[in-house]
Amino acid sequence: MRWRYILNISGVLTLFFGLTMIFPLFVGLYYQDQSVNPVLKAMGITVLAGLICHIFFKSAKTESISQREGMAIVAIGWTAVGLFGALPFYIGSGLSFVDAFFESVSGFTTTGSSILTNIEALSKGLLFWRSFIQWLGGMGIIVLSVAILPFLGLGGMQLYKAEVPSPVPDKLKPRIRDTARVLWKVYALISLAEVILLMVGGMDLFDALCHTFTTMPTGGFSTKNASIAHFRSLYFDTIFIVFMILAGINFSLHYQMIRGKPLAFWRDSECRFFFGAVIVLTIIISFNIYGSVYVKAGEAIRYGAFQVVSIVTTTGYATADYEKWPAMSKLILLLCMFLGASAGSTGGGVKCLRVMLCFKFCYRELFSLIHPHAVTNIKIGGKTVPEDVMRSILGFLALYMGLFALSSVLLAGLGVDFVTSFGAVAACIGNIGPGFGLVGPADNFAQIPYLGKWLLIWCMLLGRLEIFTVIIFLVPEFWRK
Amino acid sequence: MKIIVVGAGEVGFYIASHLAHENKDVVVIDNDDTALRRVSDNIDVQVLKGSGSSPVVLAKAGVESSEIFLAVTNSDETNIVSCLVADIISPSTKKLARIREADYDEYHENFRKYAPHIDTVINPEIEVVKTIERLMGVPGAADVGEFAEGRIKFIGVYLDNNAGLSGVRLSDIPEKTGGKRPLIAAIVRDEELIIPRGNDLLMAGDLVYFISEADKLSDTLAVFDKHAEPLRRVIIVGGGRIGFRLAALLDSKPIKSRIIEINSKRCIELAEKLNRVVVLCGDGSDQGILSEENIQDTDFVITLTNDEEINILTSLLAKRMGARKTIAKISKFSYFPLMKAIGIEQVVSPRLSAINTILQHIRKGKVLSSISIKGEQAEVMEALALETSDIVGRPLKDISFPKGAMIAGIIREKEIIIPSGESIIMPGDRVIIFARRKAVPGIEKILAVKLEYF
Repeated sequence: MRWRYILNISGVLTLFFGLTMIFPLFVGLYYQDQSVNPVLKAMGITVLAGLICHIFFKSAKTESISQREGMAIVAIGWTAVGLFGALPFYIGSGLSFVDAFFESVSGFTTTGSSILTNIEALSKGLLFWRSFIQWLGGMGIIVLSVAILPFLGLGGMQLYKAEVPSPVPDKLKPRIRDTARVLWKVYALISLAEVILLMVGGMDLFDALCHTFTTMPTGGFSTKNASIAHFRSLYFDTIFIVFMILAGINFSLHYQMIRGKPLAFWRDSECRFFFGAVIVLTIIISFNIYGSVYVKAGEAIRYGAFQVVSIVTTTGYATADYEKWPAMSKLILLLCMFLGASAGSTGGGVKCLRVMLCFKFCYRELFSLIHPHAVTNIKIGGKTVPEDVMRSILGFLALYMGLFALSSVLLAGLGVDFVTSFGAVAACIGNIGPGFGLVGPADNFAQIPYLGKWLLIWCMLLGRLEIFTVIIFLVPEFWRK
Repeated sequence: MKIIVVGAGEVGFYIASHLAHENKDVVVIDNDDTALRRVSDNIDVQVLKGSGSSPVVLAKAGVESSEIFLAVTNSDETNIVSCLVADIISPSTKKLARIREADYDEYHENFRKYAPHIDTVINPEIEVVKTIERLMGVPGAADVGEFAEGRIKFIGVYLDNNAGLSGVRLSDIPEKTGGKRPLIAAIVRDEELIIPRGNDLLMAGDLVYFISEADKLSDTLAVFDKHAEPLRRVIIVGGGRIGFRLAALLDSKPIKSRIIEINSKRCIELAEKLNRVVVLCGDGSDQGILSEENIQDTDFVITLTNDEEINILTSLLAKRMGARKTIAKISKFSYFPLMKAIGIEQVVSPRLSAINTILQHIRKGKVLSSISIKGEQAEVMEALALETSDIVGRPLKDISFPKGAMIAGIIREKEIIIPSGESIIMPGDRVIIFARRKAVPGIEKILAVKLEYF
């Protein structure tokens, strides 16, 4: 491990990240609000810190970085980005440090859990920053750096793998830099489409931008206290549902689609599974809430669909308080938090692909009990999944469940009630946003105790970087020479 | 530029890695998961699992949009069929194939003209034999390359402890040697490549690379205290494909050659095909057989068995028993840094030879040949200066040359010019350029015809 080199690169990433604060600065200047000064200060501190780190740890240029170093850079980079991203909130809105850090990490990890009780009171510049960091975090700040910063080209692959840990790696272009560029271009293009469609529906540019910046990364921050329910518009609900689903689909499929393969979505078995899950769950929940909560069938479908899509894609927007729904609907939504969106999308959770493969694995175990001599492969889309990939998926699931269990027990130990501990950890580790109990869609995370917030920050990072990149630091073997 | 490489073995791996470092778009195809994993974990290229001869796989790899297609699997047949399929899908793609079987030797030209249209057939074994021949021809050379049809030699020599030039400043060399100054292109010291300037020192143990005209070579070598000795006795250890090719080459020369092969059946085959070369059946690493054959009077012992560890040890043994020079065949690149430390100066590698040949064929512009220096840190290339390229018509000092690259020589018709800042390259000249790996893309750019960028 070349720590100097790791810190040097982390310094560059911080520096680069500091420069992106120019956008909220422009917004602040445009609206002439109180955010200009704090954002400027935060930007100064970030750029300076990055520069100092880069210069202080000046090290020889290397041609490649190892997988371990890649993981270290990504984990350190994300922590740094979370910390420095919290500065505008900390300086500008009188939040305590842990609250500002929570809000920032919740943004970057595209979780969307908020500790703010009155969102609308925040200045425009800070509101924009809150949405913008979700957009950066969605496709990944490291992926963006790989796409833009030329010197990361060679080591870029290890960084990319650590930040976008897909169960089955997928390289769209021969070179990692081009792959990162393509992904960001597709991401930006779909975002642009959403902004336009929202503005067509009558939303002003500021709200359209802020909401797009939180839909596309499946983030879930809204500029309104009541989230999407604020707009009370069928048109907006539909647009959001469509774009949340798009954001929950593997971005390489979007790329194929743009390249002129209209059947790409249908040909991909994970995508079919994802669509199927959304449709079936919507139908079940709509039936469940029809009559008991909503009198009209249309309303039941509208609110049912929105909540299902919002949770499955791990976005976390709300148009209804699902806590007032029947137990079955609530339970289904809780399970949706674990399912998550597609691999290679901006969504969180366990991911459909892993769940599918896990089902197939279980079936194969049963099959081989019946036919002890049968040679069977686990296949996806006609291709055999290598045994070691399968192993890492099972390892991931075990760790995910284990960490979920441990964290929720710890949170309950801090004095949080049963349902809330369960719901808050599920929502944070899955990068969803609102949970259950005291942190439901109509509440926020402000009442969580001090230590509990740190615990949830850790959960959000675990979820976003898909466990391994973060947990590896706790393994003693990692530190041995 | 998009390049498809079929075969993720050692050759495929190193070619892909070399090209990826030069920022080319590379797709590697192989059947084997483990080999592919090694590629995708280490190099920034795209990998595709499947057979390189399958049209479906090739279409998926995007052979239509690729400029160069390389078939370098272990199997000649797979390579030929892959090229055939690639030729059907995309006739305009340049195709290179590694074909090792000697029976195909006569047909290389036919492969180019007819069906698979393989632009270049690479036979690493032929290349290795050529390299061995060159090494035997130049006394004391650790590395030999040729440019301009052999009129210019590119030589690497180790500077001995007692050599007159060790500890001498480059700018002082003419004083020391009485006017002659060899054109030193690079120095490898402690695994580090140095592009020397006038006030750099030469040190004992340095591997010095220089360029010399072929007819003045012995004078230049004398400057480094390397003197030609007649070549009379050669022992080849290992009668495999390369061993046989080399023996066949020596068969027609007035050199006393012996070839030692362990497999008695193979020995009979060899004896049938060879006339003057003595075929010995036995273990080449056996002291008895070596002393029986008067190893102490042998000029060259060349170890060419399929086991590189045996090659290294046999070379050391032969040296200890009194052989003057040894050449060992080594394929694993990871051993190269060790060679000097354990006392082996001359090594040949079929893979490095294959890589060199392939590289020279995929260079943009009119690159005529290219040689990569041990450990692949740098490359020497011979290129044709094209009329509309950036390099012609201006004094060298005005050309924005990439860092880590230099022009080592200009060949104008029969004349060889050692360039200075004022020299101007004319269209049609051949230039010999020495470049670190990082500078290669920049060099390609200034060599390329400008039209290409419109």
